[in-house]
Amino acid sequence: MKIREFISAKAVSADLKAKDKEGVITELVDLIIDTGSIEKKSKKKVLEVLMAREALGSTAIGQGIAIPHAKHKSTKKLVGCLGVSKEGIDFDSLDGELAHIFFLLMAPIDSAGPHLKALAKISRLLKDKFVRERLKGAKDEEEIKKIIDQEDDRLMSL
Amino acid sequence: MPLIRREINVRNPQGLHARPAALFVQIVSKYDSVVTIQGEGEKVNGKSIMGILTLGAQKGADVIIEVEGDDAQIVADELEALLTDEEK
Repeated sequence: MKIREFISAKAVSADLKAKDKEGVITELVDLIIDTGSIEKKSKKKVLEVLMAREALGSTAIGQGIAIPHAKHKSTKKLVGCLGVSKEGIDFDSLDGELAHIFFLLMAPIDSAGPHLKALAKISRLLKDKFVRERLKGAKDEEEIKKIIDQEDDRLMSL
Repeated sequence: MPLIRREINVRNPQGLHARPAALFVQIVSKYDSVVTIQGEGEKVNGKSIMGILTLGAQKGADVIIEVEGDDAQIVADELEALLTDEEK
């Protein structure tokens, strides 16, 4: 599985504006809606399931990364987006650090495998400190896409 | 120091996804023992959610935990209970 299989080129933001958890999740969901992967009429429900998931325990996995994710019937396949907050957002991370890099994933109700594979892939990508720094410092969406393309190729060749 | 090595079949319905991975790290962080978890050849630090997620361990996968420290017994037991919890 490649990252660009579930993060479309349009679903990327190099400069998230939100300042808090709910705000950034809303901004990320809007990003997915803009690509047409999820219909606008489902926005409220999608936000609800994502926030409900956060209430179970933060999806901030440390080192400045958060992976908000949930399942909802509004999508038939795994879709996601990638956003970077320059300032960082308090996302209740276990290590206490602000989150800067956000991968939001929405999966269909009856799936488990692809979701887990995507989480594994994203973790593999972000384990590399150099990649994290490059994403955080990316000046625009083009640069982020380039990083993802390069890393997708590198991870596939391992 | 006691070293416990245990092979565990993951029973979490969605596999070892973000929530059980976070709970795993929370258990490890409570104690002094040093923990690693291994799946399909790779061995990762038991305090890293990211590391654990890279394993991509699905329900039914076998993982190996190694716990070293004076409180190894209780840590291994708690981790096994978590990984075999069909509600998580």
